[in-house]
Amino acid sequence: MRRSVIGLIAIAAATTLVAAGCGPTGTSASAGGSAADTSLVYATGEPDHLTPGRQTVAFDQVMALFAPLTWIDNSNKVTDLAAKSVTTTDNKNWTITLRSGWKFQNGEPVTAQSYVKAWNYEAYGPHAWENSGELAEIVGYTDLNPAKGKPKTTEMSGLKATGTDTFTVELTHPDSQFPMQLTQAQTGFFPMPEAAYKDLAAYDRKPIGNGPYEMTEAWKDNQPFTVQAWKGYQGPKAVTQKVTFKSYTNMDTAYTDVQAGNADVVFLPADKMTSAKGDFGDHLYSFDSPGIDYLGFPLWNKKYSDPRVREAISMSINRQEVNKAIYGGLYTPATALTPPDMAGTQPGICGQYCTFNPTQAKKLLAEAGGFSGEMDLIYPGGDGLDSLYQAYANQIRQNLGIAKVVAKPSADWASYYATLTNSTVAGPHFGHWGALYTSQQNTLRSLFTTAGGCYFCTGKYHNDDVDKLMAKADSATTQSEANTYYTQVQKRVLQDFPVVPTFFDRYSYVTSTKVTKLPSIEGSPVISQIKVS
Amino acid sequence: MNKAAIVVGRRLGELIIVFLGVTLLIYLMVFALPGDPIKALGGDRPLTDSVVHALRAKYHLDEPFFEQYLRYLWGLLHGDFGVDFNDESVASQMASRWPVTITLALTAWVIEMIFGVGLGVISALRRGSFADQAILIFTIVIGGIPVFVIGVASQLVFSVRLHWFPVAGIVYGWPKSYILPAVVIAIFGLAAVSRLTRTSMIETLGSDHIRAVRARGLPPARIVGVHAMRSSLIPTATYLATDLGYLMGGTVIIEGIFNIPGVGNLLFQAIRTHEGPTVVGVSTALILIFLVTSVLVDLLHAALDPRVRRR
Repeated sequence: MRRSVIGLIAIAAATTLVAAGCGPTGTSASAGGSAADTSLVYATGEPDHLTPGRQTVAFDQVMALFAPLTWIDNSNKVTDLAAKSVTTTDNKNWTITLRSGWKFQNGEPVTAQSYVKAWNYEAYGPHAWENSGELAEIVGYTDLNPAKGKPKTTEMSGLKATGTDTFTVELTHPDSQFPMQLTQAQTGFFPMPEAAYKDLAAYDRKPIGNGPYEMTEAWKDNQPFTVQAWKGYQGPKAVTQKVTFKSYTNMDTAYTDVQAGNADVVFLPADKMTSAKGDFGDHLYSFDSPGIDYLGFPLWNKKYSDPRVREAISMSINRQEVNKAIYGGLYTPATALTPPDMAGTQPGICGQYCTFNPTQAKKLLAEAGGFSGEMDLIYPGGDGLDSLYQAYANQIRQNLGIAKVVAKPSADWASYYATLTNSTVAGPHFGHWGALYTSQQNTLRSLFTTAGGCYFCTGKYHNDDVDKLMAKADSATTQSEANTYYTQVQKRVLQDFPVVPTFFDRYSYVTSTKVTKLPSIEGSPVISQIKVS
Repeated sequence: MNKAAIVVGRRLGELIIVFLGVTLLIYLMVFALPGDPIKALGGDRPLTDSVVHALRAKYHLDEPFFEQYLRYLWGLLHGDFGVDFNDESVASQMASRWPVTITLALTAWVIEMIFGVGLGVISALRRGSFADQAILIFTIVIGGIPVFVIGVASQLVFSVRLHWFPVAGIVYGWPKSYILPAVVIAIFGLAAVSRLTRTSMIETLGSDHIRAVRARGLPPARIVGVHAMRSSLIPTATYLATDLGYLMGGTVIIEGIFNIPGVGNLLFQAIRTHEGPTVVGVSTALILIFLVTSVLVDLLHAALDPRVRRR
């Protein structure tokens, strides 16, 4: 759920820090804290937007300000939160009924119209709202996003308010995972109050939500802003009363700032993973996450078109050793196409091909006709991935006996991404998928179907069997039935072996001594439930 | 005086030409960067095609290069610096960030000047002594350590352990938030400034006019502080003035490490995200500052050294 490889900007407001009991000269954070002091400084990157339909990096902030229709917990159980019920008889036509009495932070009641209008606005192509893709399954989405020209309508025909508290959603095809898609990290499904549309630019700076916290001041570029527990919130009350989001350009600096006690929680940057245990001891937390790392391939390139070559590469990488050296042992070697925290994932499904076995790897490569020439491992430069890819290169070189394996960074993320979208990537390449809800559907559909949006991330892999099995899962009546199909999808994809699964991400956080409890869901802390002393 | 006016006029003319050339060149370079900045906006989650198209149209990235560049220049003529990909005005970002960078650079500059000249004078007066050698070794060694190493190490020592300064940010304002990063920046100029001062000080101390004032029995402090200082500082002053321009743009790494929201940081981010208007705006401003300081250096040089004026 986190774009862990992209960093952003930052500074700080004296008032909030002093309130947090972290004077600049204070001996440590705990020294200044009193019993009633429940404020927290949360270190993040600089937000891009705070409007739920627009943000792509401000999950923490937006999820603190808004409440989702449904809530997913760590056992992948979906419960209704802002919704009273989400029902269907055919997985295609859904009826969502809202809880009554819910309000926005400006006092406006949350109605069916708050959702319908927000979703239509977001889906309307010319508005170019970044999260619009989350709504793509709703009937009428394509009318708002024609291939050419201006859309003729501004509303999706599949979305209708049928009462003050009820609206219906018609999907283009059955989708058993729809309630999961409405959970907390899919911020594109959040509502907006009528007040937002008067000045959307101002709203982006000071959004009015329906969630546990409200903005106390508008967010200004590179300046921390504080959100305060909102008394009118109808969901589970926030434990910590005040949260200050403080943004950093350099997450290593944020790490040091947490060490000094000037900030309380930060996502652990990759290059600190080996030292975090020593620096933070018990205040290092590591969670299963919906993220997976893999190596993708230019499947059209003859050098890599034989699945045995890819299997050999997979078996030549000693994931345990790389994990220890690069991630301080915090990650988990991948043994499936989705991480274990996704509903119904069967770790180990990848079997021998995800197990380190250099002898077998060499044999497979020989059977496939060997490998001639240079192997370039391509990864986005400037994101701290250098040592990881050099490690992969070393492993492949040594264990497969390929003379020249070179880790090659691109200039930056954009140029790396372009080599994927226009199919010019020269060799095995960096791949990462962080799902926004913990259904295998999200990862499998995105990466292994053409309609999934990221099919170019896996060498434009396509297989009709996979598409059919995904459709069956979509029509399933129970989650366990869907999960059976996902297992079959994984088995089918692994036969073709288009990608080398390398690691299940574990999102790690370090905290100041002030934080006594860091509950998490889907790998990320639930900010409203963090406990501070 | 007439000559000075001509120099200034000619330099101003050069500025305009440089300005046009630089904006064109930088705009072209950003344009030529491989990759599509809009597609990359969503990180590893792709944006839908219609969002990509709409955003591209919004930021005029679908137009040919010269149309984009002329549009940008036209905007500049109207005082419009354009917007970044978060719809933030580049002008307002620069307005909030320039004071930060200028404060940081000036602080570093003053530290560099005081300590550089001070150490240089000590070296010159005690030529060949232990202190002279120690200063030489100290300034060279410390100037040879990579800037991020010193930056991070100083954070760990002075902020995390000793709590003398904040780790990062500018919350506590000047001087508290600025001193540590400024010292780290200043360290790199120390060697050059102290060497320059030392050399010309030694030269001056051996010159006729100093021997003359010495013969008149003036106290040593006055000889060094007033008479020797004035003439020996010409090369140092020239160096320091040029360095100020360099400091304005050379603080990118330090701004990153200390999380200081200055223009260096802004420029770095903008290059990574391929935001043409921001990159061009910031770097043009940086180059203009550099050019202006170099004009000032020439004028300053003339003011300090009568020989230059006569030429």
